[in-house]
Amino acid sequence: MSRLHAEEMILNMGPQHPSTHGVLRLKLTTDGEIVSKIEPVIGYLHRSFEKHAENLQYQMVTPFTGRCDYLAAMGSEHGYAMAVEKMLDIELPERVEYLRVIFAELQRIASHLVAVGAFGLDVGAITPFIYCFRERELILDLFEMASGARLLYNYIWIGGLAHDIPPGFVEKTYEFLDAFDKRVAEYNQILTGNKIFIERTADIGVLPPEVAINYGVTGPCLRGSGVDLDIRKVQPYSIYDRFEFEVPLGEGAQGTVGDCWDRYYVRVREMEESAKIVRQALDQLPSDGDVQAALPKRIRPPKGEVYFRSENPRGELGYYIVSDGKNVPARMRMRSPAFCNLGVINEIGQGWMISDVIAILGSLDIVLGEIDR
Amino acid sequence: MIQTLANWILSFDILSGMGYPIAWGLSLFIVAALIFVFVALNALVLVYIERKVSAFMQVRLGPMRVGKFGLLQTVADALKLLQKEDIIPEKADKALFTIGPWTILVASVATFAAIPFSDTLLAADMNIGLFYVVSISSIVVLGIVMAGWASNNKWSLYGAMRSAAQIISYEIPVGITLISVVAVVGSLNLQTIIQAQGGAGNLFHWIPIPVPNWFIFHSPFLFMATFVYLIGGTAEINRTPFDIPESESELVAGFMTEFSGLRWALFFLSEYANATLVAFILTIIFLGGWQSPFVNYSSAQIALSIFSVIAVIWTVFVRMKSGRLSIYPLGLSILAAISAWLFPGFAVWLASPGIFWILAKVAGIIFLLMWFRWTFPRLRVDQLMYISWKVVLPLAILNLMGVAIWMWLTGEIQF
Repeated sequence: MSRLHAEEMILNMGPQHPSTHGVLRLKLTTDGEIVSKIEPVIGYLHRSFEKHAENLQYQMVTPFTGRCDYLAAMGSEHGYAMAVEKMLDIELPERVEYLRVIFAELQRIASHLVAVGAFGLDVGAITPFIYCFRERELILDLFEMASGARLLYNYIWIGGLAHDIPPGFVEKTYEFLDAFDKRVAEYNQILTGNKIFIERTADIGVLPPEVAINYGVTGPCLRGSGVDLDIRKVQPYSIYDRFEFEVPLGEGAQGTVGDCWDRYYVRVREMEESAKIVRQALDQLPSDGDVQAALPKRIRPPKGEVYFRSENPRGELGYYIVSDGKNVPARMRMRSPAFCNLGVINEIGQGWMISDVIAILGSLDIVLGEIDR
Repeated sequence: MIQTLANWILSFDILSGMGYPIAWGLSLFIVAALIFVFVALNALVLVYIERKVSAFMQVRLGPMRVGKFGLLQTVADALKLLQKEDIIPEKADKALFTIGPWTILVASVATFAAIPFSDTLLAADMNIGLFYVVSISSIVVLGIVMAGWASNNKWSLYGAMRSAAQIISYEIPVGITLISVVAVVGSLNLQTIIQAQGGAGNLFHWIPIPVPNWFIFHSPFLFMATFVYLIGGTAEINRTPFDIPESESELVAGFMTEFSGLRWALFFLSEYANATLVAFILTIIFLGGWQSPFVNYSSAQIALSIFSVIAVIWTVFVRMKSGRLSIYPLGLSILAAISAWLFPGFAVWLASPGIFWILAKVAGIIFLLMWFRWTFPRLRVDQLMYISWKVVLPLAILNLMGVAIWMWLTGEIQF
């Protein structure tokens, strides 16, 4: 019996589409509901961050980094500050290091909350999204207390912080952590263990570890495939070697290792681990110290180049900076994790249905601001 | 009801000159208008309730600004939709694009003609009522396919095709489930089906727990059939977890993508009309329609007392532990029990059948549908088909055969 001839149809998903997480456009070649080819088209949010950076003094670049990964601005600022500090060879006060870790990890929780909630939204569950945003709001309140801003902070400066934390911040953070532990159980109840959710995500879009490594996938997507690579562990920066935390890995608990469910669940567990780190950092936080003590008056790194990588919520965030001895970078390059993670979608999304492509895209958790830069 | 109304009109001296045919036509028009008003108001109220229910489940307030507690929000929204520019895409099939939404609305409004609201209040007492309801309500899919095809949009086309596949798959198990009740009653007349559910008896004929004679308690098979119908009905009206035709996160808005203004409002209206319809059918077929759950006033008193004792225990032992104590359900049940003992008239009213009971049951089922919507993720289209053909349909057939055997066992029918 010969196969029924069916014509393929090109379907433009985006740049205006509710589930492309911004202005991503996916050119889908579809045969009925089955997608045979996915071609991501990017660049709709290109703001030439790297070229801008070549015309700005080092301290003026900090706010721009936050606008790249706008859901994890603290993490981007942290990475950039550490890269320049490595060039300048600055020794930071203890209190600054602890506060930076606290903010970076709170930011990781906030970012993963968006990822988890939006992933639920992608497979059709609306309520978990609101629950996740309820907790994210608490974190944003904390950030607002400290920096005055809720999304883009310009808080972590090269050599220090913009302000010290206000009185009452530590107590409020403890309060949040106490509440948060219970809330994670709520997400697991409404989403993680839901039969329909498991049907929609388990065994879908399996990303084998070899493919993930070949494409340069990092972060929770890589760890969801069972590869144990967390830069906080393998190459500890800042003071991450002082904290006890686990690196959650995908185990294929509901299906195959590296499916959408694994990537989702790695994020849920990472939030718990981050909460643990924040708690430890708060316990050990030195009570005094000027957060601006090491702030350099004049930033003119010596001639040379540096590549510094840190673990952003989406994966390995690298800054490659070339200095020619002036007060502006000669070249700035950002290795954005979401860009590399998105590259794998054609490989793992082929042959699935349109609904699955949405789920796979959601599980990769991309931020277009960082992909287009 | 139309004949009654016509006779009533003719009973006035001034109007009696118009003759029976004109009076009948006038009554027909009045009844149709009443049904339409019911459907429109119902959508207006349900949209508000849906928003409030979703807000309640999502720890929000919901609409609060327009009117007290946002009560006028949906009115404002409806007015806004009526004012909107009427847009027909250039490449659309204009005729189908215009007819599509009206087809859906007409189908869902027309179905209400056969729905009995009480023992006297129904538009048309047909002896094939159930058949009429099932057949007319499935015209809705025709409108959806028309709308999706006419939009000339790939997303709309996907939505329409999914919808057609979905409704056709679920019509079959739903039909077979309804036949299993028809097998028990021996009639397609909805009033006869409700009247057959009067009185009280044992749970599943033998288990000595007094329950009303509703078909959900008739046999384990009809008990299962109730849930089969609930699943099938939810799928037929395209609500979560079966909302794949308009799945917001995948197909933008499915078959409604290109519609705006009044036409979009018609889709919305018929969506809620269909949800109400499914709740009505479920109530009529399995939950006794307008029958009261209490046989007489003393059973109302006793049942309410038992219920409030359970509510007290549940509140104290379950809700207190979770730290989220809500006194409203508890207070209401105790209030109802006390008033049932203090005012026998209240208990008598509770035990008598009427429009209150059918509306209360329908409201409960609609709340259940909303609960589904704000809790579950969405199924994929092939999973939906799998459930329909491999789970629900065999179950429906099993129920039909099981009911027949059950009736033979209990002696309801003899060969």
